[in-house]
Amino acid sequence: MMGLASYLIISTILFICGVIAILARKNIIAILLGLELILNASALNFVAYTRFLNNSIDGHIFSLFIIVIAAAEAAVALAIVLRFYQIRETVHIDDATQLQG
Amino acid sequence: MDYTIANIAPIVLLPFLAFVIGSFTAKKFPKFTGIMVCVAIFGSFLLSARIFADFVFNQYSADYYIHKTFTWFDLGPTFKLNLGIYIDQMSAMLLLMVSGVGFLIHLFATYYMGEDKRYARYMIYMSLFTAGMLGVALSDNLLSFFMFWEVMGFCSYSLIGFYYEREAPGDASMKAFMTTRIGDVFFLFGLLIVWNVTTQVNGQGSFTFVDLYNVIANGGFDGQMLLGIPLATFAGLCFFMGTIGKSAQFPLQIWLPDAMQGPTPTSALIHAATMVAAGVYLSLRVYPVLEAGHLLVFVSYIGAITAFGAATMALVQTDIKAVLAYSTISQLGFMVLGVGVGNYNAAFMHLITHAVFKACLFLSSGSVIHSLHDHHTGGHVQEMPRMGGLRKKMPYTAFVMVICSLAISGVPFFSGFVSKDRILGEALIMGLKNPVYSLPMVLGFVAALLTAFYMFRMIFLTFYGAPRDQELFDHCHTEKFSFNRNLPLLILSLFTLGLWYSGSLTGQGLVKFPGVENKEWFQTLIEKPDAHHLAKFKNYKSQAWGKVDVKPAIDFSKSHYDPTHGLSAEEAHHAHTLHLYGAVGSIFIAFLGIFLAYLMYIRKSLNPGWWATTFSGWYQTLKNKYYFDHFYIDVLIKKVLFKFQDFIAWVDMGIWDRIFIDGWANVNNFFSYWARKFDDVVVDTIGVDGTGAGVRFFNLVLRTLQSGKIQFYFVVIFLVMASYLLTLRVA
Repeated sequence: MMGLASYLIISTILFICGVIAILARKNIIAILLGLELILNASALNFVAYTRFLNNSIDGHIFSLFIIVIAAAEAAVALAIVLRFYQIRETVHIDDATQLQG
Repeated sequence: MDYTIANIAPIVLLPFLAFVIGSFTAKKFPKFTGIMVCVAIFGSFLLSARIFADFVFNQYSADYYIHKTFTWFDLGPTFKLNLGIYIDQMSAMLLLMVSGVGFLIHLFATYYMGEDKRYARYMIYMSLFTAGMLGVALSDNLLSFFMFWEVMGFCSYSLIGFYYEREAPGDASMKAFMTTRIGDVFFLFGLLIVWNVTTQVNGQGSFTFVDLYNVIANGGFDGQMLLGIPLATFAGLCFFMGTIGKSAQFPLQIWLPDAMQGPTPTSALIHAATMVAAGVYLSLRVYPVLEAGHLLVFVSYIGAITAFGAATMALVQTDIKAVLAYSTISQLGFMVLGVGVGNYNAAFMHLITHAVFKACLFLSSGSVIHSLHDHHTGGHVQEMPRMGGLRKKMPYTAFVMVICSLAISGVPFFSGFVSKDRILGEALIMGLKNPVYSLPMVLGFVAALLTAFYMFRMIFLTFYGAPRDQELFDHCHTEKFSFNRNLPLLILSLFTLGLWYSGSLTGQGLVKFPGVENKEWFQTLIEKPDAHHLAKFKNYKSQAWGKVDVKPAIDFSKSHYDPTHGLSAEEAHHAHTLHLYGAVGSIFIAFLGIFLAYLMYIRKSLNPGWWATTFSGWYQTLKNKYYFDHFYIDVLIKKVLFKFQDFIAWVDMGIWDRIFIDGWANVNNFFSYWARKFDDVVVDTIGVDGTGAGVRFFNLVLRTLQSGKIQFYFVVIFLVMASYLLTLRVA
């Protein structure tokens, strides 16, 4: 029988993988991938909690929103990365220093 | 008569203006300056004579007075200083005497100093002096009295040192100035006491005589002590010290003989007639204080000792002016004795009569000195051993001088007899009544004997006998009558007659001139402000400065004068009898003195040289002025004052400088060292540099945080979120 805990463990593993990807990778594409993982982990949490504790459709709607926002965010972020790459010819995060104080 | 400021103030202002204008004209127009000064003083004389005539011939009572005040400065309700003028009978007489005698002396000075190269300067100083003395006579308060008193002191100083090319006059002027200064310091203390007491009693400090009398009448001095002695005694002593200094009384008599270094008219005006008499006048003005302080015995002792001591010193002098100088001290002693024995009126009368005959004597001596030229040294001769027989050369001077000597010796019909006899008579009464007064009485009579002797010794040595320096005698010009040489002398000698001052021979109303009734004007008009009469001062009031005086004149007949002096008929008779004995005694003494002088210097049956050798110790003592100068200079100044000065210097340099000044420097060094440390360490290092370092540090931290590395920001965000979760768990 699949309980709530297994869903939460899966989402936690996804979250931690996302965080590690964000903190450890220097490639902006990889970081964006980590970010997607974190978003999907949170979407999984919403669905799991709704299914086991609430029995409503709030969590489903939230996860749909998250998917939409993630898509929009990925589009914007990839556009920025594309532009960045055109200027710097690299996607290495340490080269993105234009906003440094 | 209406009294306004316009006819009173010029008495002082005329001579003063003459001084001011003369200061500018002295160099260019010396003759004009001399004449202007004489005219100014004659103007003062006319105004004074007007007041005198009004007071005396209208026969106002002794209570009549004019008192006008104005506010000099006002520093709030408790400190308002009023100055003003106060004229009563005594001031009126003093004004007339000063301006009259002063004018005649100025006239004589145009003769005596006429050829001097600093003639005009001399005249303006004399003018300033006269303004000062008239100011003293007009002052209604002790403060302006003191200021005019100091003006006189300054003029005395500059006139004694008039021949400043020589050393002796310079020294003498300093000696005179410094010696009188001792008395003046005490006078200032007296002023402070008066101000303090009037403030206590009236709530308003004041220096006026009227307020002072008022305070005494209301018992303001009662029960007040200062340094363990009654305050009235202290104040009286302070004022009397002023008298001692200014009037050359024992023990400050040393300056007056030296003051004869000045030109002779100066000696006549300042050191015989007026300034030295101002000291006695002060004593008369503050008489109620002296009485309240029970100082009269002390005063009489000082007066008698001075009268006697100075008379003995006059016996051995060979300088004609020195004889007169000691005679002046002696006569001032008589006046002070008169104050001391309570004969207020006679003391003031002697002040007036003495001023007249002593001024005349000095001017006559000036006339003699001016005629005697030593053709070897080119200087004037003052030594009597080189004179003799001069009456043939200068008959007018000789005549006048004999008249004045008769007056000072106390021969009947002359003024000196009238006034001096009244003092001696009162001394006799007091001496017989109270044994404390017996010594002043005896000294007074002996001094009178000596006076007659030394005056006629001077006359005989100067004018009689054979010329002792034939060459000098031959060079002396025969005197021709001139208005500015002989006229002042003759006028002054006219007023040495006793009838001007009293209708009787003795001034007591005992032995009257035939047909004279109730002409004791002097006694009637001047009233002693003693305890009986102080009550009248409770009502004294002053007037505003600008107002015309409209007080009704109180008639002479309503005067308080009481011929029996408040005594019973029997006591009064006793007193009058004693006065008569005193009069007879002093006539005898005067003639005895003159006779002794005659025996010694004309008949030569008594040899002065024998006396000088037999009593050589005494002779030397008198020659050396009782060693007072030695005592003051060698003992008091060199032994005591110099030691004291060394001590003070040691205190100053040894203790004060070393310990306090240097100590203070050390304290300051210590504090400045630590202040510097504080500045260096706390302010600079910690405060200033620390702020910089802090800024730099936070700069470093914040700069490190602002790395721009996005992943670092993520770490921070996660850590914050983690800590937030952790906090939630704990809560």
